[in-house]
Amino acid sequence: MALGLLGVIAIALLAKENPFARWILSAVFAPERLLAQFGLGVACGLVSARVSGAALLLFGLGIVAGSVGQDWLLWVLYNVPEGPTHLFLTGPIAFLAIGLALIPGARLLPWLLPLAAIVAGAMLSLAIMLTDPSLHDPAFTWTPVLAAFWIVAAVSLTLQAFRHGWFPIFGRILGSWLVAIGLLYGGASLMPILRPPPPPTDTSQESTRGAEMNRTIPALPAPQQPEFPGGIERPPPP
Amino acid sequence: MQCVHKAGRYMAAGVSVVGCFLFYLLPGPAAAHIIQGAQGGFGSGFAHPLTGPDHFLAMFAVGLWGAQMGGRQVWTLPVAFPLIMVVGGVIGMLGVPLPAIEIGVALSILALGLAIALAWRPAEWIALILIAYFALCHGYAHGAELPLSADPADYAIGFVLATGMIHLFGIGVGLGLNKPMHGRLSRALGALIGVGGIYFLVPALLAA
Repeated sequence: MALGLLGVIAIALLAKENPFARWILSAVFAPERLLAQFGLGVACGLVSARVSGAALLLFGLGIVAGSVGQDWLLWVLYNVPEGPTHLFLTGPIAFLAIGLALIPGARLLPWLLPLAAIVAGAMLSLAIMLTDPSLHDPAFTWTPVLAAFWIVAAVSLTLQAFRHGWFPIFGRILGSWLVAIGLLYGGASLMPILRPPPPPTDTSQESTRGAEMNRTIPALPAPQQPEFPGGIERPPPP
Repeated sequence: MQCVHKAGRYMAAGVSVVGCFLFYLLPGPAAAHIIQGAQGGFGSGFAHPLTGPDHFLAMFAVGLWGAQMGGRQVWTLPVAFPLIMVVGGVIGMLGVPLPAIEIGVALSILALGLAIALAWRPAEWIALILIAYFALCHGYAHGAELPLSADPADYAIGFVLATGMIHLFGIGVGLGLNKPMHGRLSRALGALIGVGGIYFLVPALLAA
């Protein structure tokens, strides 16, 4: 954990000058991704080492599956309204999968975690592809994958090292947060961006007088429309 | 000697928590349910519940009450709250009119404070119904403003994270204060929260 923290500090310091480090901070460590990976790490920390290892393996398989079937996944998620503007809702889907696995508690977690790990892996794969600013530079593909494994492993190993009776309670509460965030995030993304309502019109005498004065001022001519579609202006006469 | 140290520690913890509440009760605009203009990303969403005293008190009280009741309620109440809050949030986002939301928010603080002060331990389903109503009010108030924020997604993440952390803080304080002085410190905190509820209820009733 200490080494991990040092790594984060080093990346933060490098981010001032290095664009790649800046991209890591803004995309790889975005709250949306960090939280899903933290949730998966907590879920892995609450189960036995064998199930945890299997979940990590399935997380990797999910990443591969998401990469192989990304066209099909994008086609499915393209039909969601406003989906393309919010990374095809990869974040909310991962939150819901991990949250729904955490809420039922320790008894059902070993059965639900593998499924959640696959879904989270596939969504991470899509998010990596969608936020890649390069033309398939391997560094922009492998860095987020390694960072994700590092975060999940660091959180789960830390939890397994310090087992406490209240960890399952925290796991359930975290699960409810993830589901709530997934639903709110998804809901807010699906809503059109609203503008604040206009201020109420003043009906006092002064405002009426002002409106009358305004009426006496001749209206400005409407802005000239381009004569050709697409905004191309008429060329000057020869 | 150890007992004296323990008592001192409890007193210090109690004084600091009460100090926090007194700070929150200082006169000021109740701004937990206002987003001004197009602002609001992760930081704004995270700061929103922490800086809005009405939301903070209600979330803290949910954790404190669950810890005071003990058993399954330690986690059922904080788990149910955000899930039902989402339902209220979606209703708010859709713009479905719900009357007297601010009164409901203030009432939630008063009722939770009274429940803690009186050490009321109802059946789990009664507690969940109460929590559900309060969660609907809080969720509606925040859901209505969520699409106004510049980045609704990051705003929602920050907002729910901060809310959950206040729940955990409430549970931690509740579990810590349950044993010393037979839980009287916890009950005193509940009374203080109830006073906070009245502070918010009076202007809400006057404005209605």
